[in-house]
Amino acid sequence: MKKKILAAWISLSLIVVSLTGCGSAASESASKDQGELNLFVWTEYLPDSVVEKFEKETGIKVNVSTYSSNEDMLAKVKSETAGAYDVLNPSDYMVAQLIAQGMLKELDFEKLPNFSHIGDSYKNPAYDPGNVYSVPYMGGAGAIAVNTEKIDTKITSYADLFDPSLEGQLVVLDDFRAVIGMTSKAVGYDLNETDPAKLSEVSDKLMELKKNVVLYDSDSPKSALISGDCSAGMIWSAEVAMAMEEVPSIEVIYPEEGAYLFFDNWVVTKESPNYDNAMKWINFIMEPENMEIVLKEFPYLCANTDAIALMGEEYSGNPAKNPPADAISKGSYVENLDSATLDIYNEMWTKLKE
Amino acid sequence: MMKKRSKHEFKSNTMPAMVTVGPVAILLLFLVVAPLIFVAVMSFCQTDEFYNVVYRFTAVNYGKLVSEDYLKIYAQSLLIAFVTTLICVLVGYPFAYVIARTKSKKKQLFYMLVIIPFWTNSLIRIYGWRTFLGNSGWLNKLLMTIGVVSEPVEFLYKTGTTVLGMVYCFIPFMVLPLYTAIEKLDDSLLEASSDLGAKPVKTLFEVILPLTASGIFSGCIMVFIPCLGYFFVSNILGGGNTDMIGNLIERQFKSANNWPLGAALSIILILVTLLLVKIYQKLGGDMDSLGV
Repeated sequence: MKKKILAAWISLSLIVVSLTGCGSAASESASKDQGELNLFVWTEYLPDSVVEKFEKETGIKVNVSTYSSNEDMLAKVKSETAGAYDVLNPSDYMVAQLIAQGMLKELDFEKLPNFSHIGDSYKNPAYDPGNVYSVPYMGGAGAIAVNTEKIDTKITSYADLFDPSLEGQLVVLDDFRAVIGMTSKAVGYDLNETDPAKLSEVSDKLMELKKNVVLYDSDSPKSALISGDCSAGMIWSAEVAMAMEEVPSIEVIYPEEGAYLFFDNWVVTKESPNYDNAMKWINFIMEPENMEIVLKEFPYLCANTDAIALMGEEYSGNPAKNPPADAISKGSYVENLDSATLDIYNEMWTKLKE
Repeated sequence: MMKKRSKHEFKSNTMPAMVTVGPVAILLLFLVVAPLIFVAVMSFCQTDEFYNVVYRFTAVNYGKLVSEDYLKIYAQSLLIAFVTTLICVLVGYPFAYVIARTKSKKKQLFYMLVIIPFWTNSLIRIYGWRTFLGNSGWLNKLLMTIGVVSEPVEFLYKTGTTVLGMVYCFIPFMVLPLYTAIEKLDDSLLEASSDLGAKPVKTLFEVILPLTASGIFSGCIMVFIPCLGYFFVSNILGGGNTDMIGNLIERQFKSANNWPLGAALSIILILVTLLLVKIYQKLGGDMDSLGV
């Protein structure tokens, strides 16, 4: 009897050993062949299903990390060892800054045939002339969201968000450039105002906003609108679209002053150890079918005209998903500021949030 | 004639000391001392136009620390931490007393109830509170169902909500040292107090509290200090409207990208901590019960 049990044990352990041996050998060879790819992207901006599809098609193991502001991303990339991230997803002004600091690697367009799907108006942007380092992904505006069931006052501009009747009702992005830029616009100045005298006026105006804002959130500002904790706000345009799907009484408004705009891009870091995989990723995500999956989940303004064609009227006719052309032409982008001005911005931001 | 050395005796103390204390000392040197020196050095540095740290001496960061806005934030952090600690003592003491003195078999269960929440990340539990307290959350649903209120109450995004979150996060740090102190309490002393005619209130203030003071002290230290740095509680439950020192430091390392200023703020926080621990020691606190 004892012998039988022993024999059973031995055979069982042999099977287990041989099985696990096979398993590890197989997976090792797969990872050795195709390598890895480290993506560093915005939160709520890239569906897992697209990443899984890429992994399945290419055999590349993808590690996704997320951030919720350009500055966080920059700080993180600098504090990590060189080459910790292959592909980043910075906004317009941050692309310019990364280029100026020599942190990016030029893209190899021979490996990016899908660049042809990008609309001409999105090519050759001011922050990266000739698309040497970046290809555009998605963008949008700092749009105004209003729950018309809860708010009676007519809101048409950023300035209206400072109205005392909105006390304790707003959610705004936890992003100092967006909020200070919006305030600057509301008093009639530039989104990237640098004049100290004008900025002190903006600072006073911010104190009016302080009473109205109850929540600063860049990750998922729609949640507070959907749950009813906030009834209006200045948030990413696609977040308004997603909130509208849950709560039909929410409306999107593009401010009269011209909206704060952003456009996010794919870039590759200078020290990227997986450059070829990075190219494969960027080309993959520019494929209209793949971009369609992204847009279905995160309906932002999209640079990929062929993907928009696939989405149909439901996307292109929705002003929150596909901002109207005049909202875009009236809007302005964040630009890099000198450090003295940035200090003023940071002081204003501290005052607002203390 | 010289006495023969035992085989097991070392010629000097150096070798055994190196072997036993060495690894720990090296770990502490690399993981505590070196980073602290780095923080101190960085707090005297500057940044260039791209926010890179430039190693050129300046004291300007420390000058910025005394600006009116920052002073207000320190005061408000100390106040929030103080109120949190006070509530933790008032709630935690009776609770710890009950679980420490109970003769029931449920003692282990009560003790576990304090520990179990630790198994879930505090960030997730704080998000849970946000969902629970929201306008369409369970608490408001309950209040409206039983007819206490007709409109949802706005619990979220207030300083009080931040304090609630802090109390929730830190109450185990108060209960556990209290539990240890109260468990050591000798029954015969309480009996003696009662035999000599002291009323329960008098026994509480003149016997129980003095004898468990060390637990109260260490609990307070363990709640007050980390409370100053828990920036995410005020971000999530306070809506980001009530900054604490932790938020200021976080912002310098992230969105404001001013590491030297963040380092200077951290140095201030470290000094505050050291000062509090020093006061604790002076008051007769036992360093062992802080777990350090």
